[in-house]
Amino acid sequence: MIVDGYFIAGAIVCALALILGVVAAVIRDHPDDYALLAVAAVELALVVYAVAAAVRQAGGEAVSGEPWEFWGYVITALLIPPIAFWWAVTDKTRWSNVVLAAAGITVFVMLYRMEQIWDGALPA
Amino acid sequence: MSSNTPPTNIPKAEAGREDRAARAAGRNSGLGRIIIAVYGVFALSSTARAGYQVLTEFEQAPLAYTLSAFAAVVYIVATLALASKKPGSWAVSLAAVLIELAGVLVVGILGLLIPEHFAHPAVWTQFGSGYGYVPLLLPLVGLWWLYRHRP
Repeated sequence: MIVDGYFIAGAIVCALALILGVVAAVIRDHPDDYALLAVAAVELALVVYAVAAAVRQAGGEAVSGEPWEFWGYVITALLIPPIAFWWAVTDKTRWSNVVLAAAGITVFVMLYRMEQIWDGALPA
Repeated sequence: MSSNTPPTNIPKAEAGREDRAARAAGRNSGLGRIIIAVYGVFALSSTARAGYQVLTEFEQAPLAYTLSAFAAVVYIVATLALASKKPGSWAVSLAAVLIELAGVLVVGILGLLIPEHFAHPAVWTQFGSGYGYVPLLLPLVGLWWLYRHRP
């Protein structure tokens, strides 16, 4: 099965958040605006992914793994960008950029697991 | 030129004290906050795991699971002490982190010497290899951080 376009789009946004967070941690001593925007974009991508998944699964598209596990990952992943955002707003140091970068890579790993559960197309 | 330098009213000793105050205050922010968060995750997960082990399969490996429960308590104390701004919290943090380092080393070594008592894995088993050696690295980072922010 071909890997889902939603997954690829989400992975690109997560990679962007990771790169911007790491660069910002090096060149800024406060949370960087673009790193914050990238993490907001990750949340937006997750919302689109979740809505599309709900529509497709409600329309009868099969999930190869356990649906409850898939939705567990969706809900947990949706919590991560807001937590990272709150972290950066309440701790205005260089290290908040590292937290924003970590949010990007964490959500990517969870998207990867969601995709595995959904279509089994990705290697474990 | 010396007449142009602004007069400084702060004696050197006092400036040093302010430095130290700033250093101690920064303990809970920046990297310190990340360290606290990682300790918090370990406190939660090791408590859940130790609680499950002690309640369901304690007699299979009493020594390993007692140490597992002890590790959970140490992580909880370390998390709270590191996050606290109270005067004595630095010393409590230091004690908890030192006990944690000793624990992960002792359990790791005991696992090599008497493996039959440590066949059931827990957080400190094999120097924390089940958790990517984070249990071994975390107290070292914690000690360095506490040294940087000593009162």
